Amino acid sequence: MMRTGFCRTAALVVACAVALTLGIPNGGRAAAPASLHVAIGIDADSLDPEGQTTTTVANMVDYMFDSLLWPNDERSGVKPGEPQYTKLVPQLATSWMVSRDGLTYTFKLRQGVKFQDGTDFNAEAVKFNVLRWLDTSVRNPNRYYFTDIDTSRIDTPDPYTVALHLKQPSPTLLGRIASGVGEILSPAAVRKIGNDKIPLGPLSAGTGPYMFKEWVHGDHITLVRNPNYWGRKPYFDEVVFRVVPNAGTRETMLRAGDVQMAFEPPAPDVPALRRDASLRVVEGPSDRDVFIGLNNQFGPLKDARVRQALNYAINKQAIIHSVLFGLATVLESPTTPFLFGYTKVQSGGWPFNPVKAKAMLAEAGFPSGFSINFRTPTGRYIQDYQFAQAVAAQLANVGVKAQIQTTDWPSYVSWLVTPLERTPMQIFVLGWATQYLDADGELYGQFYSGQAPPKGLAPTFYKDAKVDELLLAGQTTSDPKKREAIYKEAQQLIWNDAPWIFLWSQNFYMVTSSHLDGVTTTPNEKWAAIYATWK
Amino acid sequence: MPTLFGVTLIIFFMVRVLPGDPARVLAGLEADQTEVDRIRVQLGLDKPVPVQYALFVANAVRGNLGRSAVTQAPVVSEIAGRLGPTTLLAATATVLAGTLGIASGILVSTRQYTATDYAVTVLALAGVSIPVYWLGLMLMLVFAVALHLLPAGGDTSPQSLILPSITLAAFSLAIIERMTRSSMLESMRQDYVRTARAKGLADPIVVYRHALRNALIPVVTVLGLQFGALIGGAILTETTFAWPGIGRLLVDAIARRDYPIIQGVVLLFAVTFVLVNLIVDLLYGYIDPRIRFG
Repeated sequence: MMRTGFCRTAALVVACAVALTLGIPNGGRAAAPASLHVAIGIDADSLDPEGQTTTTVANMVDYMFDSLLWPNDERSGVKPGEPQYTKLVPQLATSWMVSRDGLTYTFKLRQGVKFQDGTDFNAEAVKFNVLRWLDTSVRNPNRYYFTDIDTSRIDTPDPYTVALHLKQPSPTLLGRIASGVGEILSPAAVRKIGNDKIPLGPLSAGTGPYMFKEWVHGDHITLVRNPNYWGRKPYFDEVVFRVVPNAGTRETMLRAGDVQMAFEPPAPDVPALRRDASLRVVEGPSDRDVFIGLNNQFGPLKDARVRQALNYAINKQAIIHSVLFGLATVLESPTTPFLFGYTKVQSGGWPFNPVKAKAMLAEAGFPSGFSINFRTPTGRYIQDYQFAQAVAAQLANVGVKAQIQTTDWPSYVSWLVTPLERTPMQIFVLGWATQYLDADGELYGQFYSGQAPPKGLAPTFYKDAKVDELLLAGQTTSDPKKREAIYKEAQQLIWNDAPWIFLWSQNFYMVTSSHLDGVTTTPNEKWAAIYATWK
Repeated sequence: MPTLFGVTLIIFFMVRVLPGDPARVLAGLEADQTEVDRIRVQLGLDKPVPVQYALFVANAVRGNLGRSAVTQAPVVSEIAGRLGPTTLLAATATVLAGTLGIASGILVSTRQYTATDYAVTVLALAGVSIPVYWLGLMLMLVFAVALHLLPAGGDTSPQSLILPSITLAAFSLAIIERMTRSSMLESMRQDYVRTARAKGLADPIVVYRHALRNALIPVVTVLGLQFGALIGGAILTETTFAWPGIGRLLVDAIARRDYPIIQGVVLLFAVTFVLVNLIVDLLYGYIDPRIRFG
């Protein structure tokens, strides 16, 4: 009796489960061409273009907004495989002019463009946005991009002309305007929604190819195509960004067909993903330098010969191959090739030569090496904790015993910003990139001595009078030729002084269904998929 | 009430002792110091900690838990948005673990040392030992990737609930099964069970009315305690399955040092835990009339 009773219950449970399971319309496999699902790794913090601090979120925001100008990419018709980000091209401005003294920037605006809320895009709207960039009641971590603009003198001689006057020449201003932080919002929408609510849902606030629909925190952000977009219209009616924090789950969802594109699956899976004919690994180099920072004011590291020896001790290519699964490119300069002012200092990077490294250490007075602490974040950069171990092993080969320590990101940042007297940093893993593709963005923050903690975030405490002078000159010299020469000299000095162990620039990668066509990556760690199609 | 007060006090000071500056984490590495300082003032973190705490309590008693440092949305609405998915997941898992756990516990207790008993024991052992994230990924591989029967992650359809709730229930289910089994075996040996059998009662009546009722007290206690484990498990399950619940809200908040959210979620967990234990205490009286409150 009892037995059959239980069995009946059990059978019922199983039957229910089966019914539920079979009841689904094969959700996974069916491709949904009307709507593109993308698995991303983190939820947004803010959908206000000004509030952007992470490229993933900025990437989604780019779908909804336009800037005055933009690097040449899919939005100006560059196809995957063709060189992109080589120059700035018109977007909401059709042309611009910089005065000879570098103090006046005049933009001619595109006519007939409407914001998604139906209001007109014009000079007044641009003026409103410039003032908003500098309005301290709006959260804008990158406000310093625009502080050279004199807000009391923004001229709008006619509805489609805007002139900005600067307090001092700012040769990187155009790049900063085109970095995404300078995307243009509808003044009417901002007034209606309120500056405090724009980060939560910029409804109809942009002029971009897609419009905000909804943001379910922790789950997804949905954008729909803007039917009145002034430019080329995208293929998909809707794009849904699904928040999937676990990299393994993103890959699984892609394989299951829940999503058609996934952000950075686990690096060790990439070789298998590359071989899978139903998928496509979309990857490309980025401007993110990944390096071992050396505290230049610490003990043995004060000696340039020691720092150079450490550069000789590391076989970067081997680590990229075996620990990063090919997802990086060896650095040949302190900056990366996409930036204005880039110079290749040494082909193939610092050569791997442990014998020479040992000899140099001996010459510097450390024939039997020394011990040092070595800190790294975990999960911030591709295979960071893993490659730190490979680096430590290779350092041990030349007698430098590096003790690895790791922690979560906020604690790591608190180490990074500690001033010299108290810094726990001796050697450490860090990545550095810039949103405006100019050598200034990469070099100033890491090698200008005034950027040492607590003021800035250059925990190498590197200090070189000539480099300081060059980096400051680069920020105020208008002539591009002269700027190139300035940065060339700075890069050579820095490279030979070896304040870092120069490693690689890491690749940015996404994996898509093989049916998804036209996806590529940009040098500033974004995916370009607005004009992707399904085939 | 004193419990909750203690919890807020501890969590408030604990998050602030953690290394990591919320303003810097929010602003990003490239931001300049002026902006970081501005954000710190905006978040009220420039005030002395005791003052911050006084403000927090004064607002909290009025139902205002502040705003998320990250999204700037009210903490209450951030939590409210995540409450539904987590409640659904936790409730389904509890029901699954409770019913299947008790049912299989009874089943094997009446078949001690048979093949069924051994098989269930092995399964239970697996349920306790397999980490949630591994079990989750395996279920996804089988049911989503290989069979294409269920979605792998997210909260998109009613079917999305199946894999996460099984994953979340596995541990508790196993514990409850073991508890029911031993508790049942214990009470089956009691004199009143023998008496019941002796007076000729049918087997099911002996098992369900006499043995089970007495065996349930420790099981219900464990069920209540498992709720704590469920919260812990939910954090992992929600991350594995991209389930937009409270557990992930908390993990994300810790990773970004979003103090108001951390405080709000921990407070909610504490309130829930207190409530669940109250319900368990009340259930005792219902299950065993000898237990009276006075």
